[in-house]
Amino acid sequence: MTGKDIIKITLNLVIVYLVGGLILAAVYAKTSPIIFKNDAAAKQAALKNLIPDADNIEKMGDLMSHEKHVEYFVARKGGGIIGYIVQSYGKGYSSYIDTLIAVDKNFTVEKISILHHEETPGLGDEIDSNSFQRQFKGKDLDHLKVVKTETKDYIQAISGATISSRAVTEDAVRHGVEALINAVKGGEGNVEHKQG
Amino acid sequence: MSSTNKVSYWELIKNGITKDNTIFKLALSLCPSIAVTNKLENGVLMGVAVLFVQVTVNTTISLMRKVIHPRVRLPIFMLVISGWVTVTSMMMNAFAPAVYKEMGLYIQLIVAFASILARAEMFASKNDVLPSMFDGIGMGLGFLFALTVISFFRELLGKGSLWGFPIINAKPLLIMILPAGGFFAVGILMAFFNWIDIRFFKKSPSGSAH
Repeated sequence: MTGKDIIKITLNLVIVYLVGGLILAAVYAKTSPIIFKNDAAAKQAALKNLIPDADNIEKMGDLMSHEKHVEYFVARKGGGIIGYIVQSYGKGYSSYIDTLIAVDKNFTVEKISILHHEETPGLGDEIDSNSFQRQFKGKDLDHLKVVKTETKDYIQAISGATISSRAVTEDAVRHGVEALINAVKGGEGNVEHKQG
Repeated sequence: MSSTNKVSYWELIKNGITKDNTIFKLALSLCPSIAVTNKLENGVLMGVAVLFVQVTVNTTISLMRKVIHPRVRLPIFMLVISGWVTVTSMMMNAFAPAVYKEMGLYIQLIVAFASILARAEMFASKNDVLPSMFDGIGMGLGFLFALTVISFFRELLGKGSLWGFPIINAKPLLIMILPAGGFFAVGILMAFFNWIDIRFFKKSPSGSAH
């Protein structure tokens, strides 16, 4: 390898990496505000979808769920509180299940929405299905339990996916609602989210 | 490999889809062909993303081939590939967030696809811009075709649906959407296309040729 080679190699790498870096920086500068706006809009839409009656949904505070930072929200209509939304994680079979739970002002579940999970395709991912999620409507803390037989009072497990069903019902939704009640009734501040 | 300039552009595209098909013939990039093909939608989107990256990378490398010192060609290829992949993923996140939500994780993985680096090294670094571009289109279309076929059968058999719409009201073979089913699907389809070659075109099984 001659000195000329060394210079050429150095120039090659410096120029290519510099140009590459500049291009990436330019694209990032252009796209990141759009990405940020999209994310915020998607979140608002998800919240609005959970409590469609609300005029206004705003953040109340932060909680911890499985050592992850989550938020909770209050939904108002015409000045009065009509419900709350809390985000919560449930430890499933192969992932943490990221869930949004909407409750009315008496903390009875209205609707849940699963934002993200990586449960087994074909088995655990049935938690995304309407037939499973519909069961949550009207359940309070005492009825957020998974049973394996047919039931109207509790939550019926998905066959072949008891762990995922439990994770959503008991870990994510029940603990989420408990934490929400503590946070709302306990007043202000960041309340530790007990889970286990 | 077909690196002579006598080969027509049409030939380059055809080779990418048939004779040099990334998955069924060259057996490169088998990991994504299993990982993302449990739904038709994912398979097709991944194929389109790879097509785009393959064409841009081939074109860029071909343009740069005379100034790249041979000793540092690999780090430079890698930078070009990861640059284009990152640009693609950022654009997708900004302008097609719904697609990005499904595909984001896989798009990043294109950086490590053997098929992209292999074409940069074997074709684009030795050929002019236009042939390289068409080679990229051919290889990309071949990959898209392979992923479409695999994910078509996996979703249909495993979920009884296509592109999310229910077709059969049952799940005939649940295993097909699990990772193990990916191996079955790729293996069976690869055997099928080789059988067609031997039966109708009287060719020896691929593999020996490469």
